[in-house]
Amino acid sequence: MITPPEISWIAIAPDLILALGAAVVLLVDVQWKPAVRVLGMVTGFSLVLAVGATLVQKMAAEDAVLAADPGSLVAFSGMILMDGFAVFARFALLGATALGVLAGWRYIEGLGRRGAEALALIMLATAGFSIMVASNNLVMMFLGLEVGSIALYVLAGMSRERPESDEAAIKYFLLGSFASAFFIYGVALIYAGTGQFAVLNIRAFFDQFVVTSPAVVYIGIGLVVAGLGFKVSAAPFHSWAPDVYQGAPAGVVGYMAAVAKIAGFAAMARILLTALGDLDSTWLPIVAALAALSMLVGSTFALVQGDVRRMLAYSGVAHAGFIMTGVVGGETQGILFYLAVYAVQLLGAFAVVVAVSGASGARSSIDDYRGLARRSPGLAGSFAVLLLGMAGLPLTSGFIAKFGVFADAWNSGYEWLVVVAVLASVIAFAFYLRIIVAMYMDEADVEAPALVPTVRWVVGLTVVATIAWGIFPGSLLDLAANALPL
Amino acid sequence: MLTALILLPVAAAVVMMVVPGRRKELHLPLGIALSVLPLALAGYVFWIFEPAPGFQLVELVSWYEPWGINWFLGIDGISLPMVVLTTFLVPIALAASTSIKTKTKEFVVYTLLLEAGMIGVFLALDLFLFFVFFEAILIPMYFIIGIWGGERRVYAAVKFFIYTALGSALMLGGIIALAVSYSSQFGSPSFALGDLANVDLSPGSARWLFAAFALAFAIKVPLFPFHTWLPDAHVEAPTGGSVLLAGVLLKLGTYGLLRFNLTLFPEASVEAVPIMGTLAVVGIIYGAVVSVVQPDLKKLVAYSSVSHLGFIVLGTFALTSGGLQGAVIQNVNHGLTTGALFLLVGMIYERRHTKKIEDFGGLQKVMPIYAGFFLFMIFASIGLPGLNGFVGEFLILIGSYTTLPSLAVVAAGGVILAAIYLLWAYERVFTGVPEKEENKALSDLSAREISLLAPIVALVLVLGLFPGVLLDKIAPSTEAVLDYIEDETAYVVPEPGRLGDVYVAGEGR
Repeated sequence: MITPPEISWIAIAPDLILALGAAVVLLVDVQWKPAVRVLGMVTGFSLVLAVGATLVQKMAAEDAVLAADPGSLVAFSGMILMDGFAVFARFALLGATALGVLAGWRYIEGLGRRGAEALALIMLATAGFSIMVASNNLVMMFLGLEVGSIALYVLAGMSRERPESDEAAIKYFLLGSFASAFFIYGVALIYAGTGQFAVLNIRAFFDQFVVTSPAVVYIGIGLVVAGLGFKVSAAPFHSWAPDVYQGAPAGVVGYMAAVAKIAGFAAMARILLTALGDLDSTWLPIVAALAALSMLVGSTFALVQGDVRRMLAYSGVAHAGFIMTGVVGGETQGILFYLAVYAVQLLGAFAVVVAVSGASGARSSIDDYRGLARRSPGLAGSFAVLLLGMAGLPLTSGFIAKFGVFADAWNSGYEWLVVVAVLASVIAFAFYLRIIVAMYMDEADVEAPALVPTVRWVVGLTVVATIAWGIFPGSLLDLAANALPL
Repeated sequence: MLTALILLPVAAAVVMMVVPGRRKELHLPLGIALSVLPLALAGYVFWIFEPAPGFQLVELVSWYEPWGINWFLGIDGISLPMVVLTTFLVPIALAASTSIKTKTKEFVVYTLLLEAGMIGVFLALDLFLFFVFFEAILIPMYFIIGIWGGERRVYAAVKFFIYTALGSALMLGGIIALAVSYSSQFGSPSFALGDLANVDLSPGSARWLFAAFALAFAIKVPLFPFHTWLPDAHVEAPTGGSVLLAGVLLKLGTYGLLRFNLTLFPEASVEAVPIMGTLAVVGIIYGAVVSVVQPDLKKLVAYSSVSHLGFIVLGTFALTSGGLQGAVIQNVNHGLTTGALFLLVGMIYERRHTKKIEDFGGLQKVMPIYAGFFLFMIFASIGLPGLNGFVGEFLILIGSYTTLPSLAVVAAGGVILAAIYLLWAYERVFTGVPEKEENKALSDLSAREISLLAPIVALVLVLGLFPGVLLDKIAPSTEAVLDYIEDETAYVVPEPGRLGDVYVAGEGR
């Protein structure tokens, strides 16, 4: 007789709410064709509900830790975990989604009838990634990854009338599918070597057994890392990022980049640190090498870009390297804190790009930013803070984040990686400064950009968060410290 | 109290931010008035400061406990003069910036934030906190050079930023390394200077870490051969920026060497004496020789800084009472005299819009007061007895002669070269008959300009005639540094390089 799996609705409540929200948005749109604003409210309502559900999960996770009963956090026959790690990542995803929708609101509204599609896709992408970060089972993780990624491919091509947008979507889709194939093939090989799909079971397997001919597992690890490396745009798997960041509609790029990074790194941390923690002598050198390469490639290539969005894409490559430094460090606190503050800075920076260069266009030349400080000092000041935050200067959250991952990596014996990382940060200063130079030290007579209120809120919030977490990082650091995987 | 000293300029900057941007005539006077408040507070701290070893007015608030980082401030005889100097120069730098006509409000705001950062660097006793201030300073200074600077300002600003950031990035690695070693050896994390000094390091890693810290500070000083950013930054910076750059920012380097390198890595410091001493002396001579041939007055003063700061580094690594005291007091002296020289160059630049020496000549006749001030500052800079520069250079040379005799002899040559390039520059600019038409109609200093220079002149005289006022407060702390090095290493300061242990015993002189 087949026993049905026990069902724990709360474990998947946020994802369920978002998927239902997406369905409601689409159905309502078909039936009543309301203004996009109404659909936006539905989206906002779904997000609030999902955050509420995640809060309930957080309490459950804390109770389980207090009661020393981790078993209660494993749901659906070991498919889904509700641990602190998943909860933190979900909060980050939901926050990024909210900021992303607000920052891209003008674009979504401007899509007219297709606005509903954009909103539904955004919610589906978040639902998929949210499942991904909570998956215990690698196949489940793959499903979440695909749900999220496919929604993002479509979002990238949302501006059908512009060829760049099509190009971005096709590129993203083709390379992204390759990456997904790598990932699932790696999962298959890990299964071949261990007979297990579940993260916790794989860990238990390596606790008990020593694999005598580990080649299959090793190749599997390599493929999984490569697949996730694509998703988080780590070098040398980053070649899609600049074109996609530039071609996709500016209104949603910030969101796309932020959620893909959060989910990709959460999955990477779960697989490498939890499942394969015992094999770290195998993957540490690979990840360290990728981290070093990403930091150097990202920082140096960003130097020569003339387009702010391409620059941010390469800066994203460098940041992938910094976060991988945190993976090498092996502490989820550093990784999660970095992901949270970087997502916030990225969304804020793209909100500024939307304000200056327009939400749908493909151009965001650095020339648009010349003399911005004179035209709209508030916007320029905000962008400067966000850029300095990304650069990791003290008194911004970026510094605390970098410091955390550097200290972790040093602690785990990768001193050379820390040296590479600090040098790469100095190279990175140069291109962040380039934008600041353009804004503050060049003069040009271009009109001040009109600021949409939603963009203004996003920029304001992200700037405040960047400074506040830079001076008082304690609360977020504590949250990240308590967000441990099972 | 010390927290207030840091937050007062920040509060002043916030006040400035809310002043309407259109009321340009208000910005500078208000900024100057606000910047007098930290000066008053620093004066009070100077007054209540007891001449004794160890840190006073210590404040400790946990910042993020699990990492062991703290808002940890304290002041001793080494940082006290620097704090007073900083608060003293900021109002002068602001008052000297009347030629800044655009974005005056932002200029004042950046200057005040810079002041807060500089005070923070001198007061921080937690390495994390120190690094935060050390790096944060770059931002306002970068904007000051980049927005209000001369023609190649963007180049100079970026070069300044990247160069110094490169040095401090490696120091960040060093701080992390120390903190990680500390928490593995003592079981709890800490970034406090006193704690990290206890870390047990292998000689090899101590040398690497010494190098990482020394590089950061050597770039800041700047020690030869890391000085190339300095002339660019100085030449392009506005006058007020130059005053603060030379007066205080460079001292972050010499202060850091004295405070952090000597305390954290006493063994490696003793080993590094020949290298650091040689680099310092090379800098002294190189800076002086390059100054001789500079066609540009501002560049001449900039290169003379390279030379003068070489003396301070030499004094620091002489590891004698005289050397260390001389280094600390020379930090102040150089801040005053070079700051004043930059002011003077700025004043003539505002009148003639050129800094080229060859464009002048015979100014003595046209601007006698100006010439008088200039000559006075030159004498102070050369180290004429009775003026402040003499005290510092004399102490440094005496102090370093005990331990590094050959280097001290060469360094003394730098004093002579300084006399050559400064007096020769004076001769070309001021003596003779004014030939150029533009020079004949120049107006002499206004009352405002004289009031800028007068306080500096007064301090130069006070420190020259009564150096004990300051030395009494400095000496216990520098002696404590020497005691510490003697305790930690096999190094013993040779006689007569030591004042003796009187201060440690707390009996007074």
